[in-house]
Amino acid sequence: MKNTNMNRRTFLKVTTVAGGGLLVGCSFSSPNSFSSSNEKDGDLGLFVRIKNNDQIQIISPNSELGQGIHTAHAMIICEEMEADWKKVSVTTGSYHPDYKKNMFVQSTGGSNGVSAWKQKLSEIGAGIKEMLIEAGAEQMRVPKKECIALNSFVIHKPSKNSVRFGQIAKNASKLSFPNSPTLKNSSEYKLVGKSIFRVDVPQKVNGKALFAGDIKLPGMMYAQVAQSPVFGGDLKSFDKKSALKSPGVEAVIAIPNGIAIVADTTWHAMKGLKALNPIFGGGINESLSSKTIDKNFNEALNSIKEFSKDNMMLDLEYSMPFLSHAAIESTNCTANVTSNSCEIWVPTQSQSICFDKILEITGLSEENITIHTPYVGGGFGRRIEVDEVVHAVMISKEMNKPVQVLWSREEDIQHDHYHSGSKARYQIKLDAKGLPKQWDNQVVKPDFMAQNYKILDALNFNPFNYLFTPNDSFIPGMIGLQKSPYNIDNVSFDYTNVDSGVPIGAWRSVFIGNAFYIESAIDEVAHFAKQEPLEYRKKLIGDNPRILKILDLLAKQSNWSKPLPPGHGKGIALFHELDAVTAQVATVSVSPKGKLKILKIDCIIDLGNYVNPSIVKSQIEGGIVMGISSALKENIIFEKGKVSQSNFDDYKIAKMKDIPEIEINLIESDADAKGVDMGVFPVAPSITNAIFAATGKRIRHLPIGKQKLV
Amino acid sequence: MVTLKINSKEHTLNIESDTPLLWAIRDTVNLTGTKYGCGIQQCGACTVLIAKRPVRSCGITVGEVGDKDITTIEGLSPDSSHPVQKAWVAEQVPQCGYCQSGQIMAAVSLLERKPNPTDKDIDRGMLNLCRCGTYTRVRKAIHRASELMKEVS
Repeated sequence: MKNTNMNRRTFLKVTTVAGGGLLVGCSFSSPNSFSSSNEKDGDLGLFVRIKNNDQIQIISPNSELGQGIHTAHAMIICEEMEADWKKVSVTTGSYHPDYKKNMFVQSTGGSNGVSAWKQKLSEIGAGIKEMLIEAGAEQMRVPKKECIALNSFVIHKPSKNSVRFGQIAKNASKLSFPNSPTLKNSSEYKLVGKSIFRVDVPQKVNGKALFAGDIKLPGMMYAQVAQSPVFGGDLKSFDKKSALKSPGVEAVIAIPNGIAIVADTTWHAMKGLKALNPIFGGGINESLSSKTIDKNFNEALNSIKEFSKDNMMLDLEYSMPFLSHAAIESTNCTANVTSNSCEIWVPTQSQSICFDKILEITGLSEENITIHTPYVGGGFGRRIEVDEVVHAVMISKEMNKPVQVLWSREEDIQHDHYHSGSKARYQIKLDAKGLPKQWDNQVVKPDFMAQNYKILDALNFNPFNYLFTPNDSFIPGMIGLQKSPYNIDNVSFDYTNVDSGVPIGAWRSVFIGNAFYIESAIDEVAHFAKQEPLEYRKKLIGDNPRILKILDLLAKQSNWSKPLPPGHGKGIALFHELDAVTAQVATVSVSPKGKLKILKIDCIIDLGNYVNPSIVKSQIEGGIVMGISSALKENIIFEKGKVSQSNFDDYKIAKMKDIPEIEINLIESDADAKGVDMGVFPVAPSITNAIFAATGKRIRHLPIGKQKLV
Repeated sequence: MVTLKINSKEHTLNIESDTPLLWAIRDTVNLTGTKYGCGIQQCGACTVLIAKRPVRSCGITVGEVGDKDITTIEGLSPDSSHPVQKAWVAEQVPQCGYCQSGQIMAAVSLLERKPNPTDKDIDRGMLNLCRCGTYTRVRKAIHRASELMKEVS
């Protein structure tokens, strides 16, 4: 495969570094990317560095949140480079314009770490290989067309002579990067497509994997923060005197929306914060509660037109709660701000948003800002936000010392950017054959796009809201969203942004309500029409061999048609987005006393092709676990203007005992799909549909929690 | 002054006796494999072994620990050769990895008590939280480690 579309500016300029080696980098700045090893003898290139001793360092533009992107990016580059996989290590790059995945941001989100980078990283790997072959041929004094690269050697085929990559990297670095490097055909792949082991696992079983909170800097102080528990509240009083008397406390510093205490250890900061006893009051949302939010949702839903009811019409209402991300690594950031530089260590999903904030706070010039992203202890959308970066940079600037800010779990749960609660009402009219002839969608929820982008708020428009519908509108297609797999002729959509001032953000897979609503409703319609739910879906899908194949495989895998004992049921749900398709069957039992047990989740997923199937499966498993967790128990409650939960004792997430056997099979296709987080979508509706099959009880409001099932 | 015996090494630390063991281990002894997750003994990210029993180090003070033997993830083996670590690699358990030190320590202790754990034993014995959702692989890795331990002995 020849690539003719290289547009590189200075993007792939190669330079020599101290100590030798090949840098594929950028001419105007080479960021000191975070390095867990002690490689300080030269600047790092943007994507690849070969050292004299043959060690290869890959710098990924994405954060490693657990999704395995470091391994995937390294596999893609090394595949084309013919590098020895055993000599590879990977880190995440600092902020750099060339690490942006699109025109706007350097970020890790939207499930596109592979799809956004595969072509570019393949070209980088292939280009480096060509340079190494040229340098190797020159060194061996043989024609380069008689040479190949293999396993980190350049080999002269006729004589079988060879040179190591590390021996020729310095000379290779003097060559110019080829304009259109030749990429392999996928049939020639040796690494890509294989379930090889992750590069980060060895460090994650012995405690050596470095997270941002593990950073120690000379003279570093530790800070704890208290923010107003009531959204929008103010700090009314605090006991600075007592705090400063508390052991190890050095300073009390104001931060936006709260106050911070700085001490010589984390524990001293925690004790100091207690002594400080900050009291907050007021807040525009003092009257906010889950009840008032629900009331506002209902008012908006009920202000919408009602359709004439007849005996072939369903009027269905569903709701989803607010959810916390609750990554086990609590929100944190370490900053070292001096008069002319700022360095931060942060578990972030967006180095460019961090960068913009630092520019704003410090006024420093771009080249003096460095963002290190060590391993991130779970992202799930939470770490697109940067409140903790603001805290750390402000405090370090004021202290003129390195400062590590750690939010207590209580701060983390109470100051999240939550998955938004929502309500949906579907008025569905059926024809004589029991198929929908009209489907009206009404959805109310706060809108995180509108919270972040005022223009969308002003226009009352968020294209993503169309995901709530079995849509046939042109708008979703316009922005690359999927048309619903279901063919329904008359679909209307009405969305109301009901914002209660609670900070809203992206959650794992962004927003999961849409799948719960549509797949519950389709199931209800099927049962109403006295039709078998899987066959009914196939009827609505019509001519779509890709999706029908997935449903058939899933039926087989899950023994869909096999009769079950009393109190048992199977439920199915399907989701199609980002050109990925996933379908799941949940098998459950409900005891005569109403105790629910999920017995198995079967999943078939088609994400096109796979760089590392084992990692993809682990991500789908993870999505299913998070889906089970939220379906069963998660629910952020608001009372008197604040979140009433504050830790894992009252915000419960799934444990080992909640998780059944999970069987996942990946389908390969030529779809240009993305969406390794897709696993989470069909979980809740497959479980609630299974509960209906087992008991006749329809769950329309999540979480399932303690709702009576019999 | 407090003296702690961590991974067979004595550390004399200039900290107050009410300091939670977690923060002594992380901030003062600089063993950062043990993680903070909740501070109230709910998540298990800070699990260490004290006299071979699993303890959530955020919930015990250094004064309470006294001179008992403490094992952290770093002290499990010098080269990741403990059967549980080997099984964790073989099953490719970790995703983000943040909770995994605690998961591994809890698994080591479970296997000490139950060398042949059933799935039910694993449900009861493994109460550590994992938000990435590695539970199914943790389960497989514990069964594998149990097999590996039999080969060793």
